[in-house]
Amino acid sequence: MKETANHSRVRKYLGSAFLTLVLLTALAFSLLVLVPKFSAYALPGNQRGYEPAQPIAFSHRLHAGELQVQCLYCHSGAERSRHAGIPATNVCMNCHRFVSASLGAIRAEDAAAKKEGREPRRIVSPEIQKIYDALAITDQMKPEPTKESRPIQWVKVHNLPDFVYFDHRPHVNAGVACQKCHGQVETMERVRQVEDLSMGWCVNCHRAVDRTGLDGKGNFTAASAPAAHGNTPVTHRVYASIDCSTCHY
Amino acid sequence: MADAVLTLRPPLIDGDKSIAQVTHDVCAPMEARPSGLWWLALAASSSLLLLGALAIGYQIAVGVGTWGLNRTIGWAFDITNFVFWIGIGHAGTLISAVLFLFRQRWRTSVNRAAEAMTIFAVMCAGIFPIIHTGRPWFAYWLFPYPNTRGSLWVNFRSPLVWDCFAISTYFTVSAMFWFIGLLPDLATIRDRATAKWRRRLAGILSLGWNGSYRGWQRYEVVYLLLAGLGTPLVISVHTIVSWDFATSVLPGWHATLFPPYFVAGAIFSGMSMVLTLMIIARKLMRLEDYITLRHIDRMAKLVILTSCIVGLSYATEFFIALYSGSSYEQFVFLNRAMGPMFWAYWTMVSCNLLIPQLLWFRRIRAYVPAVFVISIFVNIGMWFERFVIIVTSLSRDFLPSNWFHYAPTRIEIATLMGSFGLFFTLFLLFCRFVPVIAVAEVKGVLKYGISHEEGDS
Amino acid sequence: MSSGNKHYWKALEEKEGGPEFLMDAAQDLVERGPRQFGRRDFLKAAGFTVGVAFATGCSRAPLQKAIPLLSQPEEIVPGRSLFYASTCSGCNAGCGVLAKVRDGRPIKLEGNPEHPFSQGGLCATGQASILGLYDSHRLQHPLKQGNKTDWEVADREILTHLASIRSQHGAVRFLTGTITSPSVLAAMQEFLKSFSDSRHVAYDPLSNSAILDAYQQTHGTRLLPHFHFEKAEVIASFDADFLGTWISPVEFTTAYRAGRNLEEKRVSYHVQFEPRMSLTGSKADRRFAVAPCDFGVLLTHLTRLVAKRAGISLDWAEPDASSVPRNCLDELADRLWRARGRSLVVCGSQAIQEQVLANYLNHLLGNYGAAIELDNPSLQAQGNDQDLESLIAELQTGKVDTLFVYGVNPAFDLPGDRWREALSKVPLLVSFSQRMDETASLAGYVVPEPHFLQSWNDTEAVSGIASISQPTVHPFAETRSLLETLSVWNGKSNSGYELLRDFWRARVFPRQKKEPNFDAFWDRSVHDGYAEVAPAVVKTKPFDLRAVQPILRSSANANSLALVLYPTLSMLDGRNAYNPWLHELPDPISKVTWDNYASLSPATAKKLGVNNGDIIRIDASAKNLKQLELPAYIQPGQHDDVVAVALGYGSRLSSRFAKVGPQWIDALLSVGENGLVGQNAASYLELKDGALRYASTQVALSRTEKQRELACTQIHNTLNVPEKLRPAGSGPRSIVQETTLAAFLKDPHSGVEDDEEKEDLWPTDHPYAGPRWGMVIDLNACTGCSSCVIACQVENNIPVVGRDEVRRNREMHWMRIDRYYSESDDGQVDVAHQPLMCQQCENAPCETVCPVLATVHSEDGLNQQVYNRCVGTRYCANNCPYKGRRFNWFNYSHDDHLQNLVLNPDVTVRSRGVMEKCTFCVQRIQEAKIEAKRRGENVVDGAVQTACQQSCPAHAIYFGDLNDPNSRVSKMMQNPRRYRVLEELNVRPAVGYLTVVRNRDQESKEEQHG
Repeated sequence: MKETANHSRVRKYLGSAFLTLVLLTALAFSLLVLVPKFSAYALPGNQRGYEPAQPIAFSHRLHAGELQVQCLYCHSGAERSRHAGIPATNVCMNCHRFVSASLGAIRAEDAAAKKEGREPRRIVSPEIQKIYDALAITDQMKPEPTKESRPIQWVKVHNLPDFVYFDHRPHVNAGVACQKCHGQVETMERVRQVEDLSMGWCVNCHRAVDRTGLDGKGNFTAASAPAAHGNTPVTHRVYASIDCSTCHY
Repeated sequence: MADAVLTLRPPLIDGDKSIAQVTHDVCAPMEARPSGLWWLALAASSSLLLLGALAIGYQIAVGVGTWGLNRTIGWAFDITNFVFWIGIGHAGTLISAVLFLFRQRWRTSVNRAAEAMTIFAVMCAGIFPIIHTGRPWFAYWLFPYPNTRGSLWVNFRSPLVWDCFAISTYFTVSAMFWFIGLLPDLATIRDRATAKWRRRLAGILSLGWNGSYRGWQRYEVVYLLLAGLGTPLVISVHTIVSWDFATSVLPGWHATLFPPYFVAGAIFSGMSMVLTLMIIARKLMRLEDYITLRHIDRMAKLVILTSCIVGLSYATEFFIALYSGSSYEQFVFLNRAMGPMFWAYWTMVSCNLLIPQLLWFRRIRAYVPAVFVISIFVNIGMWFERFVIIVTSLSRDFLPSNWFHYAPTRIEIATLMGSFGLFFTLFLLFCRFVPVIAVAEVKGVLKYGISHEEGDS
Repeated sequence: MSSGNKHYWKALEEKEGGPEFLMDAAQDLVERGPRQFGRRDFLKAAGFTVGVAFATGCSRAPLQKAIPLLSQPEEIVPGRSLFYASTCSGCNAGCGVLAKVRDGRPIKLEGNPEHPFSQGGLCATGQASILGLYDSHRLQHPLKQGNKTDWEVADREILTHLASIRSQHGAVRFLTGTITSPSVLAAMQEFLKSFSDSRHVAYDPLSNSAILDAYQQTHGTRLLPHFHFEKAEVIASFDADFLGTWISPVEFTTAYRAGRNLEEKRVSYHVQFEPRMSLTGSKADRRFAVAPCDFGVLLTHLTRLVAKRAGISLDWAEPDASSVPRNCLDELADRLWRARGRSLVVCGSQAIQEQVLANYLNHLLGNYGAAIELDNPSLQAQGNDQDLESLIAELQTGKVDTLFVYGVNPAFDLPGDRWREALSKVPLLVSFSQRMDETASLAGYVVPEPHFLQSWNDTEAVSGIASISQPTVHPFAETRSLLETLSVWNGKSNSGYELLRDFWRARVFPRQKKEPNFDAFWDRSVHDGYAEVAPAVVKTKPFDLRAVQPILRSSANANSLALVLYPTLSMLDGRNAYNPWLHELPDPISKVTWDNYASLSPATAKKLGVNNGDIIRIDASAKNLKQLELPAYIQPGQHDDVVAVALGYGSRLSSRFAKVGPQWIDALLSVGENGLVGQNAASYLELKDGALRYASTQVALSRTEKQRELACTQIHNTLNVPEKLRPAGSGPRSIVQETTLAAFLKDPHSGVEDDEEKEDLWPTDHPYAGPRWGMVIDLNACTGCSSCVIACQVENNIPVVGRDEVRRNREMHWMRIDRYYSESDDGQVDVAHQPLMCQQCENAPCETVCPVLATVHSEDGLNQQVYNRCVGTRYCANNCPYKGRRFNWFNYSHDDHLQNLVLNPDVTVRSRGVMEKCTFCVQRIQEAKIEAKRRGENVVDGAVQTACQQSCPAHAIYFGDLNDPNSRVSKMMQNPRRYRVLEELNVRPAVGYLTVVRNRDQESKEEQHG
């Protein structure tokens, strides 16, 4: 009699405990599964991961990575202007006047020519040919009167809504590495947007820089203000304003 | 014996009803086929509603420019209507919550309708803050929510943000209060219902009410608690609404008097709106026995009281303007009374202050049509009060070069009519599908004033 | 978000629009022709840009193309603006401008600070003239009988016609406005030489011919002297609106302001006699309303008084009593005499005798060689109305075989009907008009000119200052400058560049000694925009007293009013009728937009029983002219016997504005019943004894029952509240604070009320570690010319909203100029102008009430407005004591794609439903900051110039860092005249105002406004 009573109580207790346990594990599992999914969820307007096809299969990995061409060599606007800029086609020609195909292809042609005992022909890779077409010149760098030159229509990867006035100058000149916003472009075959470029992303970086300074330069504080106002330029300190009118006007 | 009877207070319900009769009297109109009059009223109000909907649609599609506003006068009809409707709401809460706490038993026959009125009025009011924005599709930015802007919150210093909280709270609490109060009656409907759908619907809504002792006990407790919750709202909501103006720098808005002034005004307008509706309802639905002359009399007394408070506020405003010594302030009030919009001001004064004074006379209080007409006047007057405060103050502020006039466009007028359309449509449907009188509560006061046992108040 | 965004994406085209976009826009207008620039030129011209293409079915944001140059010129950096010096052609004054060119398109004109006489200022017309460049109604190709043709055809046919005329010794006339371009004049002379009977007839629709004729009589040479208002200590102006529209307003405003420098305590005394309230009159220290018929007598009286002081007895009969009190004239004569050699008498009359008297006065006062220069005269008005008179005679007799019309519109700006029929008699009428104006529509051939920013040209506005106009963008269409056209017709077709360069090598280079080498000279001239050269030698005879005749009788006519026709500074003679910005610019005095009207004095209006907007009928049946029905406008300060009507309205160029502004169910058209903006009053002009008369017509007025509400931006005109609403003991509101010179000299602080800093209960929210931007506006310098308003509109992409919206008090100008009347001590009407924009308050009422933080304070003292955050509750505007905020009631149209190219890429185009306001040109502040950072410097004082400040001819606006004690603006903030508007509210505006100081002897009593 008593036992059974106890027994039942015990069973009830066990049962509820078991139930709790089951529920807890279920909760844990669901959290484990759901949370990352949730964080990966992109809000509308978030273009992170945008990787459009370009008219020319230009490889940043090759140019910026392997060949170590500096970013500012082509995107020279970044220092002087709001826009980093897409290089003018004649900037490409600085090198591609001479380089018209991959080394391998040229070697192969030389070999073939030697075998056939003729002058090696100039090999032009189809992608580089597009540059010549754009400028309406032959692979001998002579103008082709028959063709009309038309500029290359690249597809813009990093887009901001146009009520945002982003300016490359202060960032580049303050020493922000290009990779900080554009990612490891030198490793990308085709450029991809790696950051979400949301306002929060901008603002948080600005906040951080205001606390810590950047690139060896101190941050701009009220203490440093009077000096900043006298003769020593404000610019000896990093100051990333989070005023609205920094970007919106 | 006779003397004893004479010493009794008058009963709250006339016609010496039996409990069954009460149930019947209240539920009959719902179960009978709707009268032609009802259909007519519904057609009228719903067409007004449609008109309003079209106006609002056009305004949202084309722009706020379709209103008569200008760079000097940024608010006019929109916020006037908003404050007007919020004000209307207050009487409901007052009657149902405050009078409940004060054990005013007579409230039982009006509180249901009054609460319904509150909810509908708040619905009407809620439209205007949304549509008055230039980009209504972003109106949700007024609520704080986590976002990807790093994070960008709302401006907690802005009265408009407080409004959002105040009004949403007010609506939730009133709705809940109303619904809880409805439970026993919904059960009654369920049990009386012959139509299947009606039974099923009422069944779901009455949350399985079975009239058990425990049910009643819980019910009483919750009802009391909600009454307690609702009471401060009567004060807070319109206080906060008044801060929209009081916290500004504009002469005629910038006044510490506003909170009490607005609350009194709100109850004033609300009471008169209750009167308007009750008088119609008791006539249409033959509820004279339940909504008796004594109810009307009591509400009329409340109207006089609040009318006098409001009148006092008008006087105080002028005194403060004089006392402040600020010529801007003084001019604004002189301008109200004698400027280009004097007619609005005097409409307000006569409707809110002079005409209600008639209610001092018992004979007039007892004469229902008179009370009805007066209540209508008060409604008009209270609308004009808000219009005067908002528009005349804006139209004559600091720099004479900015002074300008205001005239509403067709769209604005249609929108105002539309809000009335919405209000009456909802109210008519309410009369049709919900007991306009709290059956259960009325039963509680049925013998009041008749037998010797109950004599509390 | 979507709907908001759609607009923004669309706006992106406008914002970043460059070659791609320029192409499309241009292609809307022209198909490719031989002279049409190819894509490549475009890219060369335009530099890097982003075009937008909506990719169909694109799941993400719209696909954007980035199209680089093929080869990038050294100086062009995508996204950076270049400034090219040029010369404004808004009128004949020839002010120097810098054209701001961004990504290949000129987007803003700014005054050239180095230019000798405009000195950085630019007028409203000049500022707005950039819109003409992107005017899609401009003619795109030559027309023959109104039909499209091309240049080969036009040239061939015109040349064959001319050849036949040569052979038959036919008569050729070249009818132009004043031509200040020496190269064009030379080319024209060469062209005309080839005909046996040919003549160049020049006239100015706003004629000053009488002045030149007067000098012909008094000095033996027909010239227009160069006035130096800065050298004048006493200025007596007889109906010369020299600050508004007379000859060279910008130059004169700059000079006038230089002569009224309170900081240096040298303040000129300015008396104005005029029939209507002009801009100049509104600045005068003493102003007298005089009927046009009384000027002669008035001048005679003054001459006698001055002559007496000079000890010269004039044997003149006693003239009629003058309408100006004797003692006032005596006082003026005294002041003039005391300041002899340092005074100036100017006269805007078209009566040669009156001008002669004015010259005589200047002669008596010895002002020649001082404030009036004769040896390097002004060439800004060369019109000769006598020639005009003879020309119309020739035309009516049908003697003229070919008439070329350039730069004027005789069918519109001269008494129309008569001229129209005369012009239609001419066998070959050739117009060079840029637009299809009244004359062009009569012309057999229209050979359109490009906009002045699209072609090479030169200007010598004042003898000795030769300036250059250089093209800043390719012509979008088949237009050709007059210089090139003439060279083609002269048989050698060179480019404008070569022509101009050759001309300068041959004719201008020799006139200077500084540069030995022409190329260097040319480069410097193009770079500076002007060159100082030796003025052409003019021989003037000594003053010829025989010319001086007194005017004894006033031609007053008892029972009729004099109709005064005047130019407004926005329309001028009607040349700006195509320009919506100028139509919407409130008249500086009446504040009326989008209309002309009949202004009456209050007394006359009362007599007629009319109010503002009542339509009155103007009847000159005496001269059998057709009646004119115009809305009445009551103008304080106007003479009772005068009704004044603005010229330049009712042009067919304005027919395009019928549907400007938002269209919705209650919207009204911006045009009148005639389908045009306003009505043309030119038919009431009179070409009489060798001069165009603007005030000679006597008219009768009668009121009609009709009404037309005027779109006026200010309905209350004084600082007083209406009498019956006035709280006891309250005077005028101290919003404009003023004093008299006498009081100022005693105490420079006089007139300033309550300027001590208010104590705060708590420390300030805003520490301002870095700079704090602030502005000071000198109300004494400000003339109300409104050039700042347009400058702001260009800089900040402010939309045009149309007449109806202005009528509803919804104009969008961020900067407005309030105008208040008050009664001066001598019972005359005083006027005060007060530019007002967002005051960037430190305790800003708008900031606390915005629910979504769309307007917040910045660390450098700006009151920021974030359009993309704004939801449009308008609470901020309600709570703004200055009402400096503007709300986008509608989506203001940006459908004219060509016109969109004028939009400033650095400023967002606002969408519907958001609040906007003055930002202190934050885009310029940001640019300056970023550039300073880049160079590792601080932002130096003057590096940031707001658009309004830059454009102000009176240099009345100071802007800069208030935290920098040495900046000009903080010095001005310390000025004892400084006060703040509504200081008592303690909102702490960042904008300070300097009191108005009227040059009067009396201590100003509590000046009773209203």
